[in-house]
Amino acid sequence: MINYESVIGLEVHMQVNTRSKVFCECSTQFGSKPNSNTCVVCTSQPGTIPILNKKAVEAVIKTGLALGFNINKESNFARKQYFYPDSPKNYQITQFNPPLCSRGRLLIIVRGEAKVINITRIHLEEDAGKLVHEIGRRQLDYSLLDLNRAGIGLMELVTEPELSSPEEAFEFLSELKNIVEYLGTSECSMEKGKMRCDVNVSIRPAGQKEYGVKVEVKNINSLSGVRDAIAYEVERQKEVLNSGGKLVQETRLWEAEAKMTKSMRSKEEALDYRYFPEPSLTPFELTDSFIEGLRREIPELPRARKARFIKDYGLTEYTANYLTSAKIIADYYEEALSYLKDKKASSKLLANWISTELNARFNILKISILESPISCQNLARLVSLILDGTISGKIAKTVFDKMFEKSSDPEKIIKEEGLIQISDKSIILKMCEEAIFESSKAVEEFKLGKEKAIVAIVGLVMKKSKGKANPQLVSKVLMEKLKM
Amino acid sequence: MDEILKIRADDLRTKIYLGKTKSLDIVKACVARVKEADSRVGAFLKLNEEESLEQAVHSDKRVKNNEECGFLEGIPVGIKDNIMMKGESMTSASRHLENYVSPYDATVIEKLKKAGVIFLGRTNMDEFAMGGSTETSVYKKTANPWNIEYIPGGSSGGSAAAVGAGMVPFALGSDTGDSIRQPASFCGVVGYKPSYGLISRYGMCALASSFDQIGTLSKNVKDGALLASVITGKDYRDPICEPIERINYVSHIDNSPLRILKTMKIGIPKQLFNYKIDVGILENFNKTINKLKFSGAEIIEIDVPSYKYVLALYKVIMCAEVSANIATFDGIRYGYRSRNCKNLNEEYSKSRGESFGYEVKKRVLFGTYVLSTKNYHRCYHQAQKVRTLFINQITSAYRKCDFIFSPATLQMPVKFGETLREECGIFLTAANLAGLPGITVPSGFTDSGMPIGMHFMGSRFSDVKLFQVANAFEKISGFDVNKYPEP
Repeated sequence: MINYESVIGLEVHMQVNTRSKVFCECSTQFGSKPNSNTCVVCTSQPGTIPILNKKAVEAVIKTGLALGFNINKESNFARKQYFYPDSPKNYQITQFNPPLCSRGRLLIIVRGEAKVINITRIHLEEDAGKLVHEIGRRQLDYSLLDLNRAGIGLMELVTEPELSSPEEAFEFLSELKNIVEYLGTSECSMEKGKMRCDVNVSIRPAGQKEYGVKVEVKNINSLSGVRDAIAYEVERQKEVLNSGGKLVQETRLWEAEAKMTKSMRSKEEALDYRYFPEPSLTPFELTDSFIEGLRREIPELPRARKARFIKDYGLTEYTANYLTSAKIIADYYEEALSYLKDKKASSKLLANWISTELNARFNILKISILESPISCQNLARLVSLILDGTISGKIAKTVFDKMFEKSSDPEKIIKEEGLIQISDKSIILKMCEEAIFESSKAVEEFKLGKEKAIVAIVGLVMKKSKGKANPQLVSKVLMEKLKM
Repeated sequence: MDEILKIRADDLRTKIYLGKTKSLDIVKACVARVKEADSRVGAFLKLNEEESLEQAVHSDKRVKNNEECGFLEGIPVGIKDNIMMKGESMTSASRHLENYVSPYDATVIEKLKKAGVIFLGRTNMDEFAMGGSTETSVYKKTANPWNIEYIPGGSSGGSAAAVGAGMVPFALGSDTGDSIRQPASFCGVVGYKPSYGLISRYGMCALASSFDQIGTLSKNVKDGALLASVITGKDYRDPICEPIERINYVSHIDNSPLRILKTMKIGIPKQLFNYKIDVGILENFNKTINKLKFSGAEIIEIDVPSYKYVLALYKVIMCAEVSANIATFDGIRYGYRSRNCKNLNEEYSKSRGESFGYEVKKRVLFGTYVLSTKNYHRCYHQAQKVRTLFINQITSAYRKCDFIFSPATLQMPVKFGETLREECGIFLTAANLAGLPGITVPSGFTDSGMPIGMHFMGSRFSDVKLFQVANAFEKISGFDVNKYPEP
């Protein structure tokens, strides 16, 4: 059996995060009433002319700069022609050559190994509208057209065919999404269709230089869908070749429910888009100061932030990775930290609470940190209550559960539930004496030199205090008592 | 025909302001003239009789009550049927847009509304402005008012015939290849195509976006300048439109001495004589040259070898842009829609096939051909390169002269059904290829009584000077602007 390797390239579309569309003044608000965000320009009434939204150009350039792209200072738009009802002009205004950004790269880490993926280009274009074929569950024998999305700015990013596994593709998209979210240049939500991805997959015998036959897979609408579609396609192609068949260059559609790809059109049926320069928009020239101004606006990106978390807050690689995996989590962490007085003492503890307890609950409930019932201020309070000894770590977990459930602040819960730690030495002394009296066996072992035996006695004290006794103090008192 | 229609729009304007003439009388005279002559001429697709009379009453009231008046208060104007007017039809003389109602005003219409003009009606044209005879209009035939057996030219043939016949003092047209200046010349009126980017194209049904300009047709140069003064100026809705403030061309004409010709260097392209020119036109041209010389102008021969590419260049680039611009007319959101189609492709092909005329289909097909991947470099891309070459040659010619001068057309209008020679308007089309301003001015009549026109083409944004020279030329041309045809 031949050993095959897969060659994968991605085409990623991200809606630019601007208030108005890219060639008219309509709103880009998601979820508006059908056709309410339309005007004479984006419905292509006779005589209308596109006007370029500067903010959209800025968003693409910013994204390009963050990914190490060359910005083409002289750029233009082109018409890509094809007939489809979701495209009112029956051509799309896009960029051909040169795009706004050429030759960028992104570092990904898969199973601990770093790999640089080269990105061919990013260009700016307009999105298409939506065709609706059903109302609720009722299939229509006609189609409805919603042009709210038509004309929203879209940046298309195309990678080199340098990804070699579904995991790498998944990691690339996650990292890209994370960076773009940091930049704020796109909302990148795949659920809302604000980020979409087509993949090009081919396989070849391991070590061969020539590429195999390329298949494009469209209609993928989640990150895991990208991973699954590639995995499926690679296996399908292997099967075809192993059974003596031939692959054809074609476009296939990913069917998420069936978890398989289906042929849409072959190369012979490929469209001739008849690109030519858009005559209504003059080629534009970008100045260095314009580009440098945008460069200065780029915020700290995830990798730099992670390094800073490790260096300044003493976090482990693992925890810092988690916290910077999404901008919203890192922001939550740093905001919570801002409420704490002793940052040095609290940074690690706080990070652990977020990466373990909070994260676990989000995973179970499938919610994002933005929907967290525990505000960052309240989590900071909890951490400071642990640090000043008001509650023990163990009690803190109980308090945390209640906080999550009731969305209230820790002091209130501690008060209501009487959970304040007992640090009064005389009370603890009394409880310790009782425990020593009741644990004659453990006391005997201890006295024979088995120091570990004290654990059982501490446990008994904690049980008697319903977990509220300060464990350090209990150990100290017991030591003193037993060594007397 | 009422004598009031022989008064220049510029004078009418003053008379209305001073209360010496009523807008209502002018509009009534226009309506009467249309009713009297348009059954034979066919210039108007739609006459807004009631609305015009109503508007005129309002204008007169404003004047009487000393209310704020517009720059062209109470003066009637004709509008080519490819310019958007909110709530009005905009057929572009095509079956496809028969029932289309414009949802917005073109920038030029907005400006004219502010100026207080009276919108007399919509003028006929070739379908989607494709043609040079107004014969491709699906609605009606327009005749040349000087001889109704002959074509008026096109595509702005309705506007040219209406002004030529004295139905309206001036009208708007659009000029992509020669569509204002060729019919203006055929109908004995002044046709002005501004520099590309001087007038907003917003609201003009696009033909070929990199050539399209709205312009004016008027009985005389000064009235053209008057109308242009209202519609020029920056517009953020058209990115091609230059950020130039509105210019009052009339005051520039008034302040310029008629002896302006004395300081002018006028270039005659050597290549002009490579083409067949109708005898009457050539004779008139030669006489005109002598008049210009006599007025003190210096006549210089210029050499622009790539004139020979003008036609081919224009055809390739224009059709390419047409094929994309016309694509939006698919009958889905508006426009003609064929019924009972089985699928999407059939709906596209039937809706378009049943509602577009032959000329439109021909250009769409040719444009599709030159843009296909196989032909792009050989045809479209090559044409763009040669266009740059042509622009460079023309630009260097302007180092030697102030204006390039030629007959407007190389051929006189033909009878209906006959075709003009392809190169008839190439010295006009040159202006569109290079984005230059051009103006045709009547210069005389042939023996058979048909008007002849001459063409001045200036360097880009030399429109003020162009009007000045055209105005001076009008005075020496010997053409009687007070002569009207009786169709």
